[in-house]
Amino acid sequence: MQTLLQFTIDVLSLGGAYALMALGLVIVYGILKLVNFAYGELIMVAGYGLFLMNGSGLPWLVMAAVAVLLAVVTGVLTEYAAFRPVRAKSVTAVLITSFAFSTILQNAALLFISPRPRNVPLPDLFSQTVAFGGILIPARNLITIVASIGLLLLFAFLMKRTVLGIAMRAAATQFRMARMLGVPANLIISTAFAISGFFAGVVSLLWIGRIGSVTPGVGLEPLLVAFIATVIGGMRSLQGAVLGGFLLAFINTALNYLLTQDLLQFRDAFTFTLVILILLWRPEGLIRGPATGQRT
Amino acid sequence: MSRFSQMLLAGAALACLAAVPARAEIVIGAPLNLTGIQAPMDEPGFRGAQVAIKELNDAGGLLGEPVKLVTIDGKSDPVTVGNAAVELIDDGAQLMLAPCDFDFGSPASREAQAADLVGLSTCASDPLYSSWSLGDKQFTLSMWNTTMGATAADFALEKGWKKAYVVTDQFIAYTKSLPKYFIEQFKAGGGEILLEDTYNNGDNDFSAQLARLQALPEKPDVIFLSSYGTDIGTIIRALREVGYDAPVLGGDAYDDPALHQGLGEKFGNDVYFVTHTWAGPDAGPEMQHFLKLYQEMYGQEPDTSFVATGYDAVMLLAEAVKAAGSTDGAAVAQALEEGEFKLLTGELDYATADEGHMPNKAAAVIALNGGKTSFVGWRRPDSVPAP
Repeated sequence: MQTLLQFTIDVLSLGGAYALMALGLVIVYGILKLVNFAYGELIMVAGYGLFLMNGSGLPWLVMAAVAVLLAVVTGVLTEYAAFRPVRAKSVTAVLITSFAFSTILQNAALLFISPRPRNVPLPDLFSQTVAFGGILIPARNLITIVASIGLLLLFAFLMKRTVLGIAMRAAATQFRMARMLGVPANLIISTAFAISGFFAGVVSLLWIGRIGSVTPGVGLEPLLVAFIATVIGGMRSLQGAVLGGFLLAFINTALNYLLTQDLLQFRDAFTFTLVILILLWRPEGLIRGPATGQRT
Repeated sequence: MSRFSQMLLAGAALACLAAVPARAEIVIGAPLNLTGIQAPMDEPGFRGAQVAIKELNDAGGLLGEPVKLVTIDGKSDPVTVGNAAVELIDDGAQLMLAPCDFDFGSPASREAQAADLVGLSTCASDPLYSSWSLGDKQFTLSMWNTTMGATAADFALEKGWKKAYVVTDQFIAYTKSLPKYFIEQFKAGGGEILLEDTYNNGDNDFSAQLARLQALPEKPDVIFLSSYGTDIGTIIRALREVGYDAPVLGGDAYDDPALHQGLGEKFGNDVYFVTHTWAGPDAGPEMQHFLKLYQEMYGQEPDTSFVATGYDAVMLLAEAVKAAGSTDGAAVAQALEEGEFKLLTGELDYATADEGHMPNKAAAVIALNGGKTSFVGWRRPDSVPAP
């Protein structure tokens, strides 16, 4: 029973973080049909933001807010500087630009800060534990669960009930038609990058909260996770990204619990085998999004 | 002048330039990983190496010739490291400073061996880094994991810790072989392994392992954790948070001030690690001398003691070249095999090529308490497990 409870909390906290990562990636993909490979670097930027504010004496929540804001601003800036100029030309160009931006940001951190890990300030709450049902749970895991569920609900509300959300969903479904009906393309795309940056910022707090320090490559793992989660869940569906995030966390955690020591070192092979099986069964991912038109 | 004769003249001028013998200097090629996942190990080594180069040149160079360090970024990609090594050799490198760790350093050493040059890795500690696998002119500055694991096991037994929990990160050869030698030595000395577990680098999720640890009927006396990079901090925090406050033991990957600060006063307690050197304020005069030179060159304190591995590697090559009287691969390799060296990273004595160039080297044991490191002492295990 205790193991089951422990397992559930582990899956939910990892899955919550994974779902947020996936959502940040898919929000841009939905509209631009672009896998933004510089997404991981938004997470990195927020982390280094925290590092640079270390010792500034600001309350942690203020530092966290600034770090998230930094990720949002970087997200929007990448859109302006890297994507907007080539957006209308070719999908390949945009893809290459996203790789280029990722490399530039990583190497900037490498050159101007250090290749070695740098510590970020974390509140005491992140290292406390809660006794619950006979097990000790790190408070950070509970924070991750609450934060991710809260954000997912807020995001669902935004997408379903506000004009902006409806416009974004329209743009994701049929970009050209949406434009003809008066949805401003640039605004929608910038907003998508801002939201993506926001998720990256929050993920950064939760993910780096686990690690305690930031490195130039800190965004690689979240990017990979987000990519796989969206592929399993369905690249065109926001719900799919969330489902994919939780499913991937479930698969990873279950394998971690179940595999014997000899097999545990090959865990990723098992994970990806399952991913392949899922894709063979549902090539478009678990949740098929609305049929989409071509990006313009 | 016709265009043709102009070209002819230009060609002749070029030929003359090429015919002039290159200015005599000793070139050390260093395909180090200045970017990517290995940069935290290699970049400090590179900084230390530059300090050594400056010191050598200020003292009149080597064999009367200036020493030059030429670097091409290996980008933490073994294939790139190999290509960079080939390029450096083509450009006249006479000695090879190979990157840290077998996975990244061996391509450089293989190229050096193929060109009959001596290659020396700054801090590869896996016993795969031997003349057996790489060739009779290849060395590593670091002790092997056999020594590192054995020192850790001896230290645990010396402290009276009998029951161990061992975690192996499946990241690279280094993280995988270190616990193997720890366990071998620990069992041979009468210790008992309660549980062995596996971790995948980058997971940042230690919950399943914790569940297995918590299911044990008894708590371990000591935790041997072989991991890499920021994951070490993640795992120690995860263990401490749920009340596992047994001492944590590890290898040189722990030798990172960012890790110590990150664990801080709350989690940075009762952690011990076996590493290359001690660079604290109470270190010996040679270390103080190096720290002073480093400070002069960079205007700040080193952020990790791995800088000493780069310095040592260059100085070791320099001593061997002096002893050999040339940079000839076979002669330098022989000088390295025959010599005994006193380095910042401990005393060093290489075995012969038939014995794998096993480095017989002292290891530094360092304690972390209250987020601050202190020097426990130099250790040299009486016996080490066979690689």
